[in-house]
Amino acid sequence: MQDILADRPGLDANAVEQRARAVLAEPLYWFPVRHHSPSAARFLAEALRARRPRVIFIEGPAEATEMVQHIADAKTKPPIAIYSSYRDDDNVLGLAGIASSAPDVPAKWGVWYPLLPYSPEYVAIRVAKEIGAQVVFIDLPHHGLIAPHVAGEEEAEEEEEEGEEDDEVAPAEQASWENLAVESDFYRSLAETAGYRSWAECWDALFEVGGRHADAEEFRRDLTYFCAAVRATTSDERMLRDGTFAREDHMWRAIATTLAEQKLRPEDAVVVCGGFHLFMRRELVPAQVLPKGTVYATVAPYSYYRTSERSGYGAGNRAPKYYESIYQHTQGPVAVVADAPIRAMVDHVVAVLARGRRAGELLSSADAISITQHARMLASLRGHKAPTLDDVRDGIVSCCCKGRPEEEGRYLLAAMSEVEIGSAVGRVTPALGRLPLVFDFYRTIDELDLGETMGKEKKTKIALDLRQEADERRSVFFHRLAELGVSFAAIVEGGATNTLFREVWKVEWSPKVETQLIENNLYGDTMEAAATAKIDEELAREQDDAASVCERLLRATNMDLPGLVLRIEETAGHAIDADARLVSLARALTHLTVLRRQAARKKIREDVVKDLEGRCFARACFAIPEVANVPVEDHEEVLAALKSVAEALLGDSGVGFDSVLFVENVRSAYAESASPYLRGAMCGLLTETRAQPAEVLSQEILKFAQSRPEVMLTCGEFLDGVMATSRTAIMLGAQSLVEAFDVLLRAASWEQFLIMLPRTRKAFERLHDRSRVAFADRVAELYGLQEGEGDKLAQLDTSAGAAAWMARIDARVAELMKEWDF
Amino acid sequence: MAKAKTPSAADPSSAPNVAPVPAPASPSESELLREPAELKYRRELEALRQNEADQAPAAWQLSPRSVLTYITGAKKPLKAKIDGKEVEVAITRKFFGDDSIVERSIVTLASERALLLVGDPGTGKSWLSEHLAAAISGTSLLTIQGTAGTTEEQIKYSWNIARIIAEGPKPENMIQSPCMLAMRAGKIFRFEEITRCVGDVQDALVSICSDKTIAVPELPDDPMVFARPGFNIIATANARDQGVNELSAALKRRFNYIHIPVVSDQKTEVEIVRTRSAELLERYKIPGRIEEPVLKLLTTVFREMRQGATGEGLSVQKPTTTLSTAEAIGVALDAAIHSRYFGTGTVGPEDIARNLIGSIVKEDLADLKVLKEYMSLVAKKRAASDPAWKLFHDAAVKVLSA
Repeated sequence: MQDILADRPGLDANAVEQRARAVLAEPLYWFPVRHHSPSAARFLAEALRARRPRVIFIEGPAEATEMVQHIADAKTKPPIAIYSSYRDDDNVLGLAGIASSAPDVPAKWGVWYPLLPYSPEYVAIRVAKEIGAQVVFIDLPHHGLIAPHVAGEEEAEEEEEEGEEDDEVAPAEQASWENLAVESDFYRSLAETAGYRSWAECWDALFEVGGRHADAEEFRRDLTYFCAAVRATTSDERMLRDGTFAREDHMWRAIATTLAEQKLRPEDAVVVCGGFHLFMRRELVPAQVLPKGTVYATVAPYSYYRTSERSGYGAGNRAPKYYESIYQHTQGPVAVVADAPIRAMVDHVVAVLARGRRAGELLSSADAISITQHARMLASLRGHKAPTLDDVRDGIVSCCCKGRPEEEGRYLLAAMSEVEIGSAVGRVTPALGRLPLVFDFYRTIDELDLGETMGKEKKTKIALDLRQEADERRSVFFHRLAELGVSFAAIVEGGATNTLFREVWKVEWSPKVETQLIENNLYGDTMEAAATAKIDEELAREQDDAASVCERLLRATNMDLPGLVLRIEETAGHAIDADARLVSLARALTHLTVLRRQAARKKIREDVVKDLEGRCFARACFAIPEVANVPVEDHEEVLAALKSVAEALLGDSGVGFDSVLFVENVRSAYAESASPYLRGAMCGLLTETRAQPAEVLSQEILKFAQSRPEVMLTCGEFLDGVMATSRTAIMLGAQSLVEAFDVLLRAASWEQFLIMLPRTRKAFERLHDRSRVAFADRVAELYGLQEGEGDKLAQLDTSAGAAAWMARIDARVAELMKEWDF
Repeated sequence: MAKAKTPSAADPSSAPNVAPVPAPASPSESELLREPAELKYRRELEALRQNEADQAPAAWQLSPRSVLTYITGAKKPLKAKIDGKEVEVAITRKFFGDDSIVERSIVTLASERALLLVGDPGTGKSWLSEHLAAAISGTSLLTIQGTAGTTEEQIKYSWNIARIIAEGPKPENMIQSPCMLAMRAGKIFRFEEITRCVGDVQDALVSICSDKTIAVPELPDDPMVFARPGFNIIATANARDQGVNELSAALKRRFNYIHIPVVSDQKTEVEIVRTRSAELLERYKIPGRIEEPVLKLLTTVFREMRQGATGEGLSVQKPTTTLSTAEAIGVALDAAIHSRYFGTGTVGPEDIARNLIGSIVKEDLADLKVLKEYMSLVAKKRAASDPAWKLFHDAAVKVLSA
């Protein structure tokens, strides 16, 4: 390692070496690790068995030390994860409304700490059990890193540019010193010189493969030197910003206090932590006061996929299964450690090719031989002592991908990714017990006879008849899960948009269901409480939005949350009164209509919903004039809203609605609107609601025929609006409409006609086929087709209107041909 | 200037029917319009050979690590004795982009499999192929250019018909292909644009790739030509030609495909255009160089039109032409020549604009519309605040409306 330290600009190699030596010589035995490193795990186990310490300090969340016994339990099988969450019940951090949706909703945080079979921390816990050592987690609880709100900061924060790095936000995942390493000048210089393309490649080449280290002491020494160099080229400001100092002070306090309390000598202990933290200051600074609130810590089954970088987990492992294979090949009495990377490579290549063949790729054993040869040669060229994952990946692509990797090689890349990650899922000892929400979930599964769906990889479709009580309860359960974002059940058919009594759900259990439940435990101990809290949180965010509130009301009804329904009814009334937007009110009206239809079955008061519906209808009517001149991009949205309100008026609930109010407001908007399209739509609505005779439409079109050319051109838009809102009533005035349109076309020049054509065509395309044919018939009759002739012409297998046109064209062609001089 | 050294080859004299490996030894370097890589960079190759620290594979001129250094460049110059003088030789970067492409190519050539470089036109396949052959074998001239008219004889061997009629088939009457010469000498054989050849002709390579032999049934006493260690094949194929004459499954599995993508980051592309255009300007004896802002503008236009999106996130149409970095180099060179002979001598944005259209609008006239759209949506907006873009936009509009 000294050779790597030499000749690095800006690095005092002697000082770094001295600092590393000093730590290595301390009576307290420090062992540097990297999360999920097989070699660190192997050497750590070796060192622990050799030293047999009485206590092992591990860089794990201090609040989860009680979980150690469950992690060490023989019935617990990794991958697992410690989950720690914090809820600021009394808003001591002042972040309610900033980190949560509303000032009266407590802010919540949660962090996962994954443990794989070869994570050094997990291996240390297992060995501790074996040698009878005590394990103490020493890291600062994650909520100790949350910066409280300081008044007056909002303005400054708003001025900050978007996307700017902000490390002061509470961590969402396990902290890792690797981020600091990647940013350090030492690593950058090393990567540039050695040609490492990633931190993972650098780590693998130096510490994971190739048998550079004969024993634990060599590994410990080299990693300590490496981390000393990284630390020497990392600024204090950077470490302060990401909470490194705060965490390290907590770690040292925990170590010193435990040793003092248990009257242990430093020689009796081992500290297992990120290599970067070996150089923490050894001073007892006053303990940091942690914010008060509710703290949960538990252990949950985890999966390799969630640990992988592909799932978006930043401090993850790029190929959990691949590294597991390396680790496995170093275990056992006959294992040859130096051969582990080669054996892992062969296993991996064979598995990738098998997976690729299943996907239809032509891959042979000869390819496997070429890949391993290629990877070994690449490793040699790149100065790696044995093939790293990067060499193996490149070998596979070189030898098997016949073209562009992202196109011709897509199945191969998918196979590589799947095999690298693996599908391992962990298990937690039953002795741990379950968080209340997880318990409630499994209890409900049993109660509702859904046990068969558990543990299956396959998706199952379940059809529910909501008139059956058991199915109704299942529906409530699924709706609650959906509200919590738990991916156990997804609705396929039904809900607000379909039949009242039938729902079809797609149900699939996977390990992430449990982790999602754990994350939701902060909302409440039962499904009902958690769903209520979640919807409450959403409501607080959107309490003035009538559509959102009414949608929540509908969902709360589906989730059978009676108390909440009553509260939302009040909120909905307020939102309807406060919301002056037509689009929002129209959506709210639709939700309320669906809700009223379900009222009897859901045992909610129909009169209350009806009252809300009436208020919403009235507010929507008053909002209509406001949309008379909205921008073009909002036209379709407004049109849909106008149709919704009209449908409510014309539907079964419209009996009690004030149709005069609707008509007056539409007329008012019609008069104010400068948009031909919206004017057309409103004119169509008035016709459809019988507020005006169909002939009015033709009069309007005649006005276009007589107006200035630039106004005449907008007739197509007007007609498009009419057809968009009026379907049946328009046919009553079809005859006069055709005549008026004929007048318009005669008045228009050829160029004007061409400009009007696209919108006019679009308008007629909105009509049903039968309506279009009826219009064509009127045109044909206007142009002389007698009654009854249409039937005769229909033998040509065409419409009467088209036949009339053909006859006219035929006659015109004949006239033209007479003029030709042969 | 020193006379070029003949690229060394394995001594072919032991084989009675071997013609010498071609080497451009006769004309002096300055007389060549374009020097092959082994001549142009002979000082670098020699310096690497003298500083060799690793073991080279059989018949390779350099070790794989030195080949890699030759192509990707070295930070420090190497001390070497060239033409009797102690000098420091800088090893320049020849291939810009992902170094792992070069690593994988070198490793493939050291293995049993042949190498096929695939990519869009102008991505540097032939350039890389030439440098690999020059560094590994000392010659890049054992090359066939694949076309629809390429025959199996051109890949294997043919006969001097007049002498055959007079003397019958004898080794000395044989006309050896570059491939056969490479096999006998243990060198790299280059097959350019392999997918332009019909499948039957391509399949002539199957036995060469797997058995490393060519059968000569006309010579019963010497019926086989065996490849010596060091022999391998570098083929290139245009990604857009794939499917025209796609390789058979048998041949595919004997090749490792290395895909060379179009350079996507601007910094690298500017570097490539700067380096290559400077070399070309030197070759054409055009004084001066193209300034950085002009290069940046040129590569910006190419990158944005290639990706169909501007730096500001605006979507623009993509032309059907492949806007490769080689095309950008071509535009830069044309602009420099134009400026030298018909302009002020300094390449400005307006020179780039004048020479851009021919590169973008080639086969499909619809690309003209695409270019016009770019000018009115993107260049015009930038022209309002950037004088270079204004010159570029105004000149382009003038040419487009002509």
